[in-house]
Amino acid sequence: MTPAATLLTSETEARLREIGEVDILIGIPSYNNARTIGHVVRAVMAGLAKYFSSRRAVLVNSDGGSSDGTPDVVTRAVVDYGAMLISDRQSLLQKIITPYQGIPGKGSAFRTIFEIARRVNAKACAVVDSDLRSITPEWIELLIGPVLDHGYDYVAPYYLRHKYDGTITNSIVYPLTRALYGRRIRQPIGGDFGFSGSLAQYYADKHVWESEVARFGIDIWMTTEAIASGARVCQSFLGAKIHDPKDPAADLSGMLVQVVGAVFALMEEHQPVWLDLTGSNQVSLFGFQYGVGVEPVHVNVDRMIANFRQGLVDLQSIWSQMLSPDTMAGLLALKDCSLQSFSIPDDLWAHVIYDAAVASQRQVLPKEHVLKALTALYLGRTASFVLETQALTSLEAEDRIEALCQSFERYKPYLVQRWQETTVGS
Amino acid sequence: MWEFWETALLAPLVDLGARILTLLPNVLAMLIILSLGWALACGIGLVTERLFRIIGLDRLSNRLGATTALLRGGIKTDPSHLIGRAMYWLVLAFAVISGLTVLNVEPINQFAHSLLAYIPYLLTAAMILIAGYLLSNFVGQAVLITAVNAGLPPARTVAALSRWGIQLVAAAMALEQLGIAQNIVVVGFGISLGGVVLAGAIAFGLGAKDLAKAFLEQRLSERGRHQQPPDDLRHL
Repeated sequence: MTPAATLLTSETEARLREIGEVDILIGIPSYNNARTIGHVVRAVMAGLAKYFSSRRAVLVNSDGGSSDGTPDVVTRAVVDYGAMLISDRQSLLQKIITPYQGIPGKGSAFRTIFEIARRVNAKACAVVDSDLRSITPEWIELLIGPVLDHGYDYVAPYYLRHKYDGTITNSIVYPLTRALYGRRIRQPIGGDFGFSGSLAQYYADKHVWESEVARFGIDIWMTTEAIASGARVCQSFLGAKIHDPKDPAADLSGMLVQVVGAVFALMEEHQPVWLDLTGSNQVSLFGFQYGVGVEPVHVNVDRMIANFRQGLVDLQSIWSQMLSPDTMAGLLALKDCSLQSFSIPDDLWAHVIYDAAVASQRQVLPKEHVLKALTALYLGRTASFVLETQALTSLEAEDRIEALCQSFERYKPYLVQRWQETTVGS
Repeated sequence: MWEFWETALLAPLVDLGARILTLLPNVLAMLIILSLGWALACGIGLVTERLFRIIGLDRLSNRLGATTALLRGGIKTDPSHLIGRAMYWLVLAFAVISGLTVLNVEPINQFAHSLLAYIPYLLTAAMILIAGYLLSNFVGQAVLITAVNAGLPPARTVAALSRWGIQLVAAAMALEQLGIAQNIVVVGFGISLGGVVLAGAIAFGLGAKDLAKAFLEQRLSERGRHQQPPDDLRHL
């Protein structure tokens, strides 16, 4: 493992000695984002100047060895403050552009940002993606403000999304983390976060940087660790999130392995936290909420159902090892039903996810096989959700997601019982 | 007359008696070695079984599908017990061979030595078969899940082919270790595999010529001309 002492280059160390202490740190991880990072940097600069002009701030670009000139774009980015109607004293913004050490991935970039936050004793920090097209200066106020002015430790994003956007979040990650940890963070893997300097130090001291979490699960890890550590968490409404698509549907299996695998791994680590928790609590939401039309999303429901049914036939022996007999019976009942009556009810879906979590923990199969075998199940559930909500608005579809979350909370005792059987028996 | 009886009967009997007396200590030593060997075999078998239970071999083999495979083969005992019994018989076999060499009879000595020399090959072949079987299960399962996720209709066939392919390779390697029909196995395996690959290539290239052309065109140019429309879903 790369020790913290050698994490930063000598140039970065020298730069940090020059800068000293700051109030705000904004981190932007990057890799070959020359086309988009300029806009992000300008939005950050404008946001700091507009809302935190009297604060000392540093912008840290943690780069993974870009070959398209990304660091140069960051260096050269300037803001026309006049056009932004910003006439107050300008914020004292420093820039640090540094490569990161460790295994390639967003996690290693974040580790560098956390370490720098520790060195400069930052009071409030935020990280934003380098390919954001919809970021505005207001995002900085919304991610930093709750930390600096209201004493929160962690600010999760709340985006305006189409009802069919983020289906892994809507059908698995949000209901599961809400039921487990009792906090209703609507988008726990948003990608753009605010956090306090003390939480950054907490993250930096964790030993996850050589694991798969560091490569692919860093977002859910940050949210889960914040909740599990008892940090004060809140959300901020950021509007629509438009960015370059990173995760093509062709790699859906990989996404499930990464994201759901991280959630399951964190369940094992934090079981003393979630085993006895029941119900869930609202989380404060900052920002002015507004509605805006979103582009329609085309969904191929037939293909999804066909994939699910193929899984019922070809993966039955594997699913039977992962899922309980009752859950399996509930799924088999869908084998020959018509398209109109195809539905994976909320209760059944909650049981599927809970059984999969237990199967992963018990290692009845290699963990990667358990997660990849979830793909056809997830597609069936997504098709079911699409069919149920096709006539609904995004707001009305949100009620269906709320009902799903209540199912997850209602059946949490089932998860606890099965989990403790595993733990006692091992 | 007495001399006749002495020469024809007594002398051979005395000679036999002398030989038996000479051999008796060796036989006694053999029996002692066998007894000690049997006791050692019992102890080692028990300790081995307990050790593997403690380290969780049964759980691991359940996860890898080995226990299920044993059940299908009519073996209802768990892997720890099996390995324990295998160690018992191995130690007992060594004890028997050692006992036989103590008799100091030349043909028996030669047999014992060649058997001893063959045991490492037996063990290696057994390990290759076990490793090949476990690997074939893992790979077969991985291929099945991947093929289903990709929506391939013959997913089970593809998975079965990959599983059997690995098991065949392992069997060929094991037979090569044992020195059984080495050349025939290697050549036969090569011919069979080559034949399957050639048949597949001809079938695809000639019989599915148009399909191959459409497949390549689809891959190299824009997708979706004759396919169902893709999703716009963003899953995260």
